[in-house]
Amino acid sequence: MKWSRVKTVAIKEIIEIWRDKLYLSMAFMIPTMMMVVLGFGLSMDVEKIPFVAVDYDQSQQSRDYLHRFIDSRYFDYRGMKAHEKLAEPLMMQNKVRFILVIPPGFQRDLLQGQRVQIQPVIDGLFTFQAKVVKGYVSAINANYNQELMTQWLKKKQGMNSHEIAALLQPVTLETRYLYNEKLSSLWSTGSGMIMLVMLMAPAILTALGVVREKESGSIFNIYASTVTRSEFIIGKILPYVLISMLNLLILSWMALVLFGVPFKGDPLLYLTASLFYVSCATGIGMLVSTMVKTQASAALITMLGTMIPGIMMSGLLMPVNSMETAARVEAHLLPAMYQLNIVWGSFLKGQGWPELGTNVMVLAGYAILLWSLSIWRFRKRVNS
Amino acid sequence: MNRLWWIRVYALTKKELLQFSRDIVLLFAVAWFFTAEIYIAGSGVSMELNNASVVVLDHDRSEASREWISQLKQPYYNVLGHAQSQQQANVMLDKGEVIGVFEIPADFQKKLLLNQQTSIQLQLDASNIILGTLANSYSGLMNAEYNQQWMLKNLKVVDPDSIQVPMVEERQKINYNPEGKSTWFMPISDMMTVITLLSLFLPAAIVVREKERGTIEQLSVAPLSPFQILFPKILAAEIIILIGVAVCIFGIIGNVFQVPFRGSLLSFFMVTMVFVYAVSGLGLFISSVSRNLGQALMVSFMLLMPMLLLSGAWTPRESMPDFQQYLMFLSPLSYYIDIGYSIILKGATLQLMWQPLLQLFGLGTLLFWFGIWQFKRQFN
Repeated sequence: MKWSRVKTVAIKEIIEIWRDKLYLSMAFMIPTMMMVVLGFGLSMDVEKIPFVAVDYDQSQQSRDYLHRFIDSRYFDYRGMKAHEKLAEPLMMQNKVRFILVIPPGFQRDLLQGQRVQIQPVIDGLFTFQAKVVKGYVSAINANYNQELMTQWLKKKQGMNSHEIAALLQPVTLETRYLYNEKLSSLWSTGSGMIMLVMLMAPAILTALGVVREKESGSIFNIYASTVTRSEFIIGKILPYVLISMLNLLILSWMALVLFGVPFKGDPLLYLTASLFYVSCATGIGMLVSTMVKTQASAALITMLGTMIPGIMMSGLLMPVNSMETAARVEAHLLPAMYQLNIVWGSFLKGQGWPELGTNVMVLAGYAILLWSLSIWRFRKRVNS
Repeated sequence: MNRLWWIRVYALTKKELLQFSRDIVLLFAVAWFFTAEIYIAGSGVSMELNNASVVVLDHDRSEASREWISQLKQPYYNVLGHAQSQQQANVMLDKGEVIGVFEIPADFQKKLLLNQQTSIQLQLDASNIILGTLANSYSGLMNAEYNQQWMLKNLKVVDPDSIQVPMVEERQKINYNPEGKSTWFMPISDMMTVITLLSLFLPAAIVVREKERGTIEQLSVAPLSPFQILFPKILAAEIIILIGVAVCIFGIIGNVFQVPFRGSLLSFFMVTMVFVYAVSGLGLFISSVSRNLGQALMVSFMLLMPMLLLSGAWTPRESMPDFQQYLMFLSPLSYYIDIGYSIILKGATLQLMWQPLLQLFGLGTLLFWFGIWQFKRQFN
């Protein structure tokens, strides 16, 4: 393998990319756009949950109770319905996610010191959100109960509020969020987007590079030239690694400035790991292009093969530790999870080589494997 | 539209299907994504707190503290044991070995017995939003339960139902998926993602392949109208995808995951057809405006990502910023998700969902005819 030939192929590729201005601008625009749209849009915050109420009591007390929900920033009040039957179709149409039903006699029973039952109906479609809503409802209700009990105990037992508090809530749980103090989606999924975008964009850009070569027919020049398989593949990939590294820097900068994510880790480690990661991503695009006959299916498979695992199997939304065995194995077989560890480790957690070293090694090994496979699969013959 | 017209459409559709069946890798990829991928994603991936490792930093080591800790149990938590010091706990958190540390103060039991308030600190790794949110929610609920039991013990009440206090009890009812099974959610979301990708790409790929091989010239000199050339391509994509959906619904979603199909199967397939029509119209439009495959792919990629992630397949649309919610009115997928989920899990009828269905159909028709129009222009 001669470096001069690798260089020549790389320079040829750079010139080609440079001349296709549309392609060039898209190569930088797509990742940036994705980062803005998805970073802001893909929010895991459970807020503004649309709900309607069915208040059969229509009393002072029931209105007071209802207002606990209306005033909460977690809920978005969409009005009152006269009957449950009228509220249910709204839930079927996904217009509300939660129905609060207050029974008749709510005020009377409470004033008499009795228990009443309310029925919150929650839409279980989005399992994660449903669980969180369940927690919110319980919390608001518990809060209300505490106030009711406090008033009642004061009146009946003559206890002071200090004693009552110790009786009703002896243990308080104080949660401190580490690494992401405000539990902000923007910090978590926003920085995680670097991993997702930089998996898909480089893979597709590289696959397109091969597509262009074949479409214009210039691949035949390669077939006929003295350049060897490994020289061609490496020379071909390198410009895309370069573009992707630039993109990665832009995206990281966006995460810092636009999303306000802190960077606490080791920049050198982050950049090294990222270099391996974009090498993996470009390698995937290259490998797929060498494996399938038509370029249309190459692109389709590249996209399917990076998008779905990148979203599902990386740990970005669904944590890897909660996965079952088969999915966990798949997650460990793909590079996305390791890069996510590195992104979150470097940005949010301030981790360094001791914690992240293995991840970097895996990515390096993965990149070498993908490049070798591409070289092995590439044929300089036009097969029939 | 006489008999000849239909014979031509039939012959061309057959040709497309034949061509598709010869691309073994593509065939395999489509089969994989409709079965194995959906199985793996559905069975293994969940937005749930499962077996999360935590340690306890118990400065009290009393009966009360042990009782509190014993509430942290499977399947949510996996208590790895006691940390010896704050430093050790911090190292474990930093290395990602545990997601949370519960710290119990030294005077925990003493204060409880004196009827004073005390507090437990939870340090929680919030780098993953889902884990952070759920861990906080669950431990809050557990603590509330502990408090209630302590109070009952304190008041010497044996049967909690016997005390007469004003209290609002909640009988929560979770509709449609009462146990919160992610196997009822994930595979359907994943299937819809796969359908979207394929319906955008298959027709586009078929058109582009014609261009790549130059066979499009043959078609353009054949006695066929642009519509007659394009329609079979969409028809072929519809057939492939509907077969895939049928295999997926009957084989994986219904059979393996036992998802109850509450609505009508027929309406679901009908809606799927309309959706494939809408998205493949978009695909045709993209492939006819772009000069080469490269451009076609970049444009589709740029449209697909936001469409897939923001239409509501993974998180409900109401949690997004307003302007993106409006943007998603342009995404056929958001209507499909709305209608599809309502039919499958909620048992909605088409009468109830006619509004989004009409919108989906309208959007699809717009895209489709725009695609055809563009294609015609290309020939002239």
